[in-house]
Amino acid sequence: MTAAFDDEQEVDATLRAVLRDVLGLPEAQVAAMDESTELFGALPEFDSMAVAGLLTELEERLGILIEDHEVDADMLESFGSLLTFARAKALQ
Amino acid sequence: MTSPGLHYARYRVGDRDEWVMRIGQGPALLFLPPLFEEMNRTRALLATVMRGLAAKGFACWLPDLPGTGESERALEEIGWSDWREAAGAAFEAAGAVATVSLRGGALLDQVAPARWRFAPAPGASLARDLARAGLMSEGGGGYAPSEKLLADLGAAEPEPGAKVRTVRLATDRAEAELKLEGPPLWRRAEPQNSFELASAMALDIEQWVSECGAC
Repeated sequence: MTAAFDDEQEVDATLRAVLRDVLGLPEAQVAAMDESTELFGALPEFDSMAVAGLLTELEERLGILIEDHEVDADMLESFGSLLTFARAKALQ
Repeated sequence: MTSPGLHYARYRVGDRDEWVMRIGQGPALLFLPPLFEEMNRTRALLATVMRGLAAKGFACWLPDLPGTGESERALEEIGWSDWREAAGAAFEAAGAVATVSLRGGALLDQVAPARWRFAPAPGASLARDLARAGLMSEGGGGYAPSEKLLADLGAAEPEPGAKVRTVRLATDRAEAELKLEGPPLWRRAEPQNSFELASAMALDIEQWVSECGAC
């Protein structure tokens, strides 16, 4: 699989869909997220158990590979930090 | 919880009996569940698909693999070959016409010529997911497969075949004969169900079995 994403909006939409599908969040809540929306540690649904599933689902949908050393609290902190990471990976 | 016809029986693997959940009468379909935590997360979905197919005139078998579910064996002592053997034994016991697998179950479906797969996953991706879940959760995730099982899992790929039908979620970028709308329930930390997805799966399985000649 190659990274076929050349559109930042597409990565944004994919990340929102993954948050909705993996965490089971309501559509409206995910649609209302902006770059400053806090995720890990702030959302009860987004706990350590959910992180692995979220990252693996992102890998499958974006066609990327996320190394363990790339995953830390900063990257998972907010919608903005996760989006920045996903874009850097998918659009490279 | 039980609907009419659903019951538990035993099937024999080597010198041990394992449990199998059965429902319905007719041509038999062997269900091969996802592996590890994904199995628990999708059990309700699989049971709903099985009920749907039982209503369409099929006998559905969902075995507990050795070392999982109510098995008397410990997961630590299970090897990949035990799961291969169990899939074969359950297929024989059921006299199945085809397999229906979900995720990692597709790695064990070589037992049948006719195989319906939903969201099949390569073993390497499942092994990585398992390692990652262990890193993330303080308790280690609760699954302790042997190193040997993990190594064999990591090398396993769904085997191609002439009578394989691959179905995936619409959100999955990989190739498939059919894509269905629905959530990736195997990712959810809290087990959930989707009746829409289950009925779409049951419908496609029914049509596929009736069309694929040797079934």
